[in-house]
Amino acid sequence: MTRAEAVALALSLLNDDDIVVAADGAIAREAYRALDRPRTFYMLGSMGQVASIALGLAMSRMERVVALDGDGNLLMGFGGLAMVGGLRPANLRHLVLDNGCYATTGGQPALSGKVDLAAAAAGAGYAWARRCFSPEHARMGMETWLAAPGPALLDLVVDARDPDPARRIPMSPEELALRFRAAL
Amino acid sequence: MSASRRLDALRAAGVEFVAGVPCSYLARFFAGCAELPSNDFLPAVREDHALAACAGAWLGGRRVAAAMQNSGLGYCLEVLTSLHLMYRLPLPMLVSDRGADTDYEEHRILGSRVRRLLTLFDIPWRDARAGAEDDDARWLVETSERDSGPAVLLVGKEADS
Repeated sequence: MTRAEAVALALSLLNDDDIVVAADGAIAREAYRALDRPRTFYMLGSMGQVASIALGLAMSRMERVVALDGDGNLLMGFGGLAMVGGLRPANLRHLVLDNGCYATTGGQPALSGKVDLAAAAAGAGYAWARRCFSPEHARMGMETWLAAPGPALLDLVVDARDPDPARRIPMSPEELALRFRAAL
Repeated sequence: MSASRRLDALRAAGVEFVAGVPCSYLARFFAGCAELPSNDFLPAVREDHALAACAGAWLGGRRVAAAMQNSGLGYCLEVLTSLHLMYRLPLPMLVSDRGADTDYEEHRILGSRVRRLLTLFDIPWRDARAGAEDDDARWLVETSERDSGPAVLLVGKEADS
């Protein structure tokens, strides 16, 4: 399963009023291409801050907040895991699209192959955290993750290959922020 | 009324959510924050994460503020430039004013350049004054909302009220 397929699958399983934070780089572009929705915040920079932005949203809203994160991104902002685990917002769902590398910059290996991200999340205090290795179980894994008590993290292993890169999002940062805030 | 006049002033100016990392120069302010309801204060583990959480809370419809030691500004540059300045998100910031010649060595190199650093990125700043908490808070919130971006109140030890 490619990362883009996993992003599209996750978006297809969400409710209309779910709030999404899509990680900077390929994940935001793939989320935009698969299903653009005003209630998705598309990050363009600030790598490492996906969980922190999602936490600020989860502390401010009643709706479910879904963070679409990358493994390298999560490792860069590992403190965000501690904040989510420490504050324990029940309405936060954290999906890590784990390709084991820095795909956006050329596929350099990331330490996610050696660091158990689900165990780290559980240790930080997430109410539920699992790793899913096999693409045939991705849908069931996501359904279980969405129904689990929050905060919940699913570390979903996806292909490192990127056969059909998504284009940049054709909206300005200011437009993206205003549209998102107005939609909530 | 909380333990901090500066926090009360910020709340009176409309701030609903605070995220930050403590500084001894902001001890009173953080003592006040500790009494807030759990969804109104985020004790962040690093300053850039505090800023990112403020971005999330503002996007979620709230009025926010961040607080930190000025040493944390180094961590914040990426988030300030690729989140708050780029997306144009209001962000009132309370930053301790450390780094005077009499301060400890580890505070001097960054601390003595904070005003120049903020000016370099066109971030408005002003020095907090003890006894003028309401005026400081109004300036901070109004400036960040007028500019749709960060604004900084530099708080010296004597201004932590």
